Order: sequence, then C-alpha cells, then structure tokens
Amino acid sequence: MSLKGAFGRIYDLTFREFPHRAEPGLTPIGNPGPESPVLLTGNYTETVRRLKKVLKNESAWLLVANSKGLNVWCAAGGGHLTHHDVISAIVTSGVGERVVNHTLILPQLGATGIERQKIVDATGWKALWGPARLEDLPAFLKQGHLATSRQRLMRFPFWERMEMATMWGIPMILLGLLAFTLLGGFSVGLSVSLSAAIVSFGMFAALPKLAVWGNRRWFTFALFAILGTLGGWLLLYSLNSFGWKSLLISCVGAVTEVMALSIDLAGTTPWYGSYINTFRNRAHIELVSDRCNGSAECVLVCPRAVFKMNGAKRKVDVVLPDNCIDCGACVVQCPQDALRFRYDDGRVAEASTVRRTRMNMLGRRTIVLESHERS
Amino acid sequence: MRFDSGADKMSSFAFMKILESTPGRYDRGIWFLSRGRIGAVYETIAGSAACEGKAILDIGCGTGNVSIACASRGASVVGIDINAGMLEIARAKATSAGLEREIQFLEIGVAEIESRYGESTFDACVSCLAFSEMSAQEQAYAISTVHSLLKPGGICVIADEVTTRGRARRLLHGLTQAPFKLLAYVLAQATTRPVNGLAPLLQDAGFTGIEVARIWGDSFMIIQAKKGTTR
Repeated sequence: MSLKGAFGRIYDLTFREFPHRAEPGLTPIGNPGPESPVLLTGNYTETVRRLKKVLKNESAWLLVANSKGLNVWCAAGGGHLTHHDVISAIVTSGVGERVVNHTLILPQLGATGIERQKIVDATGWKALWGPARLEDLPAFLKQGHLATSRQRLMRFPFWERMEMATMWGIPMILLGLLAFTLLGGFSVGLSVSLSAAIVSFGMFAALPKLAVWGNRRWFTFALFAILGTLGGWLLLYSLNSFGWKSLLISCVGAVTEVMALSIDLAGTTPWYGSYINTFRNRAHIELVSDRCNGSAECVLVCPRAVFKMNGAKRKVDVVLPDNCIDCGACVVQCPQDALRFRYDDGRVAEASTVRRTRMNMLGRRTIVLESHERS
Repeated sequence: MRFDSGADKMSSFAFMKILESTPGRYDRGIWFLSRGRIGAVYETIAGSAACEGKAILDIGCGTGNVSIACASRGASVVGIDINAGMLEIARAKATSAGLEREIQFLEIGVAEIESRYGESTFDACVSCLAFSEMSAQEQAYAISTVHSLLKPGGICVIADEVTTRGRARRLLHGLTQAPFKLLAYVLAQATTRPVNGLAPLLQDAGFTGIEVARIWGDSFMIIQAKKGTTR
C-alpha cells in the first residue's frame, strides 16, 4: 500500500464525521464482460475499497451510486441513498449498454431507503436483494443470486466492534485531550482521554449484552460512567495526586462520553434500536395479515430474522418480534403496505409515513403519526 | 455495498440523526452561510429566467425558493427534487404564497425527467445549489438533458458555490468562511460544496452565449447559457 493510500485509510477510519466521497459511476472488477453481474453500492471510500478486495477473484461490475460519501446503512436510513440515486446511477453511467442481463444486485442494508420496485418501474431493470454483508458476496454470486437466511442476518463480531470503537473513540479521545489540556494541563487532558477510551471500548465490547431499553439502560450508562471516571481518576491521581478535583474532572469526561455514545449507538444495525422508537412510547412492528400476500419481501430485507414465510398460509409470520430494531426496511419494501409501526399509545406509522421520513431517527421530532387506529 | 465489515456498520448515527433533520432548517442554514445574501440570488435567477407565461424547470428545487420566485413573476414552474422532506416544505411554502397552482413539485431526479417531458418543453431551466450535490457523470447528463428539454432559444441559469481562484484568495476565503461553515453546520446542518467545470459541460452540450458572473468575493457563480435557435 502506498503512503498516500495508508493515510487515506487512516483518515477514512478516524474522521467518520465527515463524508468520504469515492467517485460514483461504473467500476469494473476483475475482467467483466456483458454477462457479468452488476452490484450496487454507495460512494463511501472504505466500502468501495473493501468491496474491491472481497471481490478480487470475481468478474463483476460495481455500480457506485452517489450516497454523498456515506456508508450504505446510514445513507439509506437518513434519506441520502434512495431509489432516485440508484436510478440516476443506472441511467447516467451507461451500464445498460455494457451488460446483457439488466439485473441489479442491491445491498440488503440499503433497504431502508432504496425502494426496489421504483427502480424496476423507472428503468425496466430487474432488481434483487444481495446479502447483508459484503464478504458473503462471492458465495451469493455462486449460489444463484438468492441470499440464504444466514447471509441475510446481520452479524457484528468482536473484532469489528473493536474497529468501530476505534473509529468512534479516536475523535473523542483527541477532542478530550485538546480541550482538557487547554483547561487544566496535559495530565488532565490525558486522564480524560483515558476515560473516553475506557467508555468507548468498554461499551462496544459489551454491546451484545447491553441493556438499552427502558429504565435498565440507566444502569448500563451509570456503570460505564463509573468505570470511565475511576480509570481517569486513577491516572490523574498517580500523575498529580489531585484529590476530589481530579475525580470531578474524570467524571465530567466519562459522563460526556457515555451520553454521546448512547445517542450515537441508537440505530446500530444489530443490537441497538433506532429512535423511531422513542423510549417512552416504544414502537413495535405490526403485520396487517389481511393485506399480506406472501411476497416475502420483508423476509429478504430484514437484517434480524424477524419474519418467516408460512407456506401453508401463503403469508408471512412475525416469528421474532423482539429482535426488531425498528429500521423500517420491511415497512418500506412491502408491496402491499402490510407492515407498519404501532406505538404503545396506540398510534400507528403506516408505510407511506415511513417511506417519506425513512428511518428518521429523529422520528419523535418530525413523524406525524396516524390517529389512534385500532387493528 | 453493505455496510461492510464493521467499519461503517454503525457508522455515524449521530451524524445521520443530525443530517436527517436538515429539511426543516435548511433555509436558515443557507441564509446564514451566505450571510443573508442568498435571497438576492434567488431573485436574480428568477429575474433572468422567468416572466409571464413562461414554462420553467427548477432542478433540485429543495425547499422551493427559486420555484416560488419564478412563479411569483407569472411563470408556470415544475420543481423537481429527490428529497421528499424538502418537497414537503416547498409545497407548504407555495401554498402559503398562494402559488400552489403555478408550481408542480415532483419527487424525481434528473435521470427520471426524460420519460415525463418531451424535447422542447421548457422556456428556461434554473438550478440553485443543486449541481454541487451531483456526481460528475450526473452533472454532464443533467446538462445534456436540459439542452434537449429546452425550446430553441431557451435559457439555462445555474447558481452554485465555486472554488475561489488564486491560492491567496482561496486561503483568505477559506479562513473567513470557516466560522460560518462551522456554525451553519452545527446549528442547521446545512452545508455547501463548490462545483467547478460547468461552463465546458454547457459548451459540450451545445449551449451558446455562456456568461459566468462571479460574486461574493469570487466564491459563488451564476452561469447563464442559451440554446441556439437552429441546430
């Protein structure tokens, strides 16, 4: 890897608050021909880089849509990668003249924003859902373009959580170091940085076990705030032997870190629900069975295996409702508008609302819920 | 694709939450970024493109400011944007200005226009702070599409941020603009990016009489071009 490339990667992985734009358009991978498959992705630099790596033994066309430099999941959920961007990529890249099979493989995690049927209607292309994770793509291509249930389920192993903790923690550590060094000297800055690191790595390590719903989440937050405070205080104590003052400084650092992280984690793919779920008025996925015609689109897009096709009824069953993280992908994709969110207070958010607002993490601010409709 | 291994998986949800709230605050953010001067740009664009009875296409109409400025001059406007949240605000603003019948807002991108409107449909095409959101291929495609949608003699007016020329001026501009950029982002999550190289694209598409006006200390551009009457 070149030095410039190495710096590029470090920048991409540490300053994720800023968009990292790769050039959108059609990119050949290997030696693709007119029969080769076409895979869609967003233009986040790190995603494009990893896709090229994982597909290095394949011949395929990579169609990079303009997701404004954001990764697929965040861009789709925030309304920055929609079917409009996909249609635009198909039309403006001229991919249609390069391939004979007008079939586009979409990233499953884009399902919160990319309305599959709209692409079909506008371009005449066939569009199908790929696997949730890019390393399953080679297998997906070999097995005839249908993801297995295992490939549709989102995983978030320990190593990746540590990677994410690094991405999340470094800006906070640097910010803490800078701000608190200016305020109280280098040893204070250093101890606040240590608090930030403890909280960041600790919470990501424990993520699958974290209690994040309801009142139990306060215990989780308190635990990590205490751990971070103690770590920072011990360091400061050994450097400067401050007393209560150093304890207070470490506490401020750790509590800030916990607050920022708990907000930022909401909507994390596999374990942390989105804020469409307000904590006081929780949303639940609801299937209106009369409307379901068994197209099973929801089964294909759910990253949490909430649904299962019931062949005998020719309808879908909600088999694991507690797995739902309220990402809304199923609601957006259902051709029958058979899925919706129902809140504890009885109000519902129908498909039309969810499509308009996307995952709308700030749902509590802008989603206007339909009136108290009873199922 | 896919949200790849961990790296971006959870990436920035706080970031995303902030972005999501953009539509409602977009106008205030852009007003602040331009230090109140953006309104004059909307009027300049409408003044060059719109008058009684003209058919106008507004590409990337956002919250509808240029569309409304054109419609209030008596033009009939089609405003297109790919952001449903922005369009909702645009429709509400048009309604409260009593212009809802003069403006049709559509949730489509440039790549979806041609299937709806034939060649030589519009007298003018306008666009403000939208080309900077497009990729290079999308920009080229948009400009050639605009050329075919315009009637002979029709005009195209594009306004967008540009990179300031000259290293010293660029540095000066960057430094003076930095606090505004930061504040506009923090308060309203509104941001703009420079777009360069539109004039050659217009030329390649067959436009003539291309005039570029640089304003705001060379950092903003209003570019106007005409479709020839014979081709």
